[in-house]
Amino acid sequence: MPSAVELSGLTKRYGEIVAVDHISFEVKEGEIFGFLGPNGAGKTTTISMLTGLVTPTEGTAKIFGHDIRKEAKEAKRCVGIVWEESNVYPELSALENLNFAGEIYHVVKRQREAKALELLEKFGLSERKDGKVGGFSKGMKRRIAISMALINSPRLLFLDEPTAGLDVQSNIVIREAVKEENRKGTTVFLTTHNIEEANQMCHRIAIINHGKIIAIDRPENLRRTIKSAQSVQVSFEEDAETGEAELGKIPSVRRVIKEGHRFRLFTEDPPAALEGIWDYARSHGIRILEINTLGPTLEDVFINLTGTAQAGAGGRS
Amino acid sequence: MAQCTRKSALLEELEAAWAIAKKDIKIYYLKAPTLMFAILFPFAMFFAFAVGREMPVATLVPGLVSITVFFSASSIGPSALPLERRIKAYDRLVCAPISPYTVMVGKVLSGAIFGLVIGSIILAACLPVFGLQIISLPGLLLGLILASFCFSMLGIMLAMFPRENPGDVMLLLNFIRLPLIFISGIFIKIEMLPYWGQVASAFSPLTYANDLMRLALEGASAFDPLLSAALLISFSAAFLYIGRRIDLKFRE
Ligand SMILES: Nc1ncnc2c1ncn2[C@@H]1O[C@H](COP(=O)(O)OP(=O)(O)OP(=O)(O)O)[C@@H](O)[C@H]1O
Ligand SMILES: [Mg+2]
Repeated sequence: MPSAVELSGLTKRYGEIVAVDHISFEVKEGEIFGFLGPNGAGKTTTISMLTGLVTPTEGTAKIFGHDIRKEAKEAKRCVGIVWEESNVYPELSALENLNFAGEIYHVVKRQREAKALELLEKFGLSERKDGKVGGFSKGMKRRIAISMALINSPRLLFLDEPTAGLDVQSNIVIREAVKEENRKGTTVFLTTHNIEEANQMCHRIAIINHGKIIAIDRPENLRRTIKSAQSVQVSFEEDAETGEAELGKIPSVRRVIKEGHRFRLFTEDPPAALEGIWDYARSHGIRILEINTLGPTLEDVFINLTGTAQAGAGGRS
Repeated sequence: MAQCTRKSALLEELEAAWAIAKKDIKIYYLKAPTLMFAILFPFAMFFAFAVGREMPVATLVPGLVSITVFFSASSIGPSALPLERRIKAYDRLVCAPISPYTVMVGKVLSGAIFGLVIGSIILAACLPVFGLQIISLPGLLLGLILASFCFSMLGIMLAMFPRENPGDVMLLLNFIRLPLIFISGIFIKIEMLPYWGQVASAFSPLTYANDLMRLALEGASAFDPLLSAALLISFSAAFLYIGRRIDLKFRE
């Protein structure tokens, strides 16, 4: 399969800060590729280099075989971009915004007019097509920004945190629209720090932290790589005060987290942990209410790789 | 994309520049306060500096038209561009499949058209009031059109500094614009300037724009009109080039 994006040694330095540090990977045509990382990891800087907004300090990249610097115009022609901020023109109407985006991407008049109406319809904005975008809600502006990126029917779509700060309804509309574009053949490169979003949408995920790629794989493989993040979840009939400390003494258990009335025991060997739990229950004469073994979530992978604890990860014993 | 009919590369660039110009005119120029200000400001400047000096009307009007074009062509673009940077709408232009020069030319075009229109309105109002006639129509057209482009380009060149606050760019622009009106033969004839002033006046595009305007309305000029025209074109090209260098510098 031909590659849609090919980065080799791409680097961006801002003075002392290395925002993106020699990253190399490939996005295949037809994929939804997720670029996952915490704030300041270098996601936006990477997209900015790929789209011609900032000049790389080092390294090269190609978009559908076109070098982003030597054949900038050809590379840019293939892409649609949704920026982190919805950079619409507030003084123009929805239709005027789309029309302008089509004009600077050289879409012929008849085609851009038809496409603009089609996109406004798809995003539920037909009735507001002549309204000034300045009066639109955040979610509506975002949909306009996405429509502007799609006006030239791009082969590759960049989305920088497409759903950040939007409500569930808008999120669903946007995710579905992106998936639909992908089914029609558009390659998608999206950044997010929402792990669930990456998990749901992406065929492959690269995890970036401090400007470096620390993992790149399918979401299910990423989960599999972290054996130690497997866990057993258990709840007992009565709350045992000493539970957390005692369960932590089971040899195969690495750590214990109390989640409400349940305990979560992280282990590389779930069967051995289960035996330990039975022994504990029997010796204290308490009954087990519920017991589950869980695979690692993508969030576990993320925390494990980046060392960033997100909300919800509790203490350890 | 495959399904699009491909136009010639040059036509694509021209159409994109025009699209940018049209959009800017719609958003920034066709506003009642902008228009009012553009027409009143040169008058205010002019009366502040010219009234009381014993100058014949015929020499005042070319100067009035020159500074009208000078200020109206160079003001709106550089105040709008930082705002577009702030809302990241300017990024869209940078990332579009068009030459960086096309983006600048599009921005320049709207300012130039504005300067041309406002300059023509002021001129049309002055002719009957002061009982003047157009002596050289080619001189007038050349002067108005080239000056509008050149001054608009000056503003856009400075707007290539990546500032998101219009005041920053305007401060820099006025730092250049205000001295120019005193050394370009508008209020003070160049011959009356001290030696260094006369030397400096040769480096001011406003000198040549004003000289063409004097040719058009007084029938007399200090320089060959073709030289003035060639210099205005050269200044515009230099501003375009410097603007691009500034832009590149800050993308590194
Ligand atoms: N123009 C700039 N000048 C200086 N430093 C910059 C610039 N742009 C980005 N940086 C730095 O580069 C690093 C990466 O920033 P970037 O915006 O790419 O992160 P990000 O992954 O997109 O983060 P977020 O999730 O917050 O959007 C940060 O340390 C940031 O401060
Ligand atoms: Mg970002």
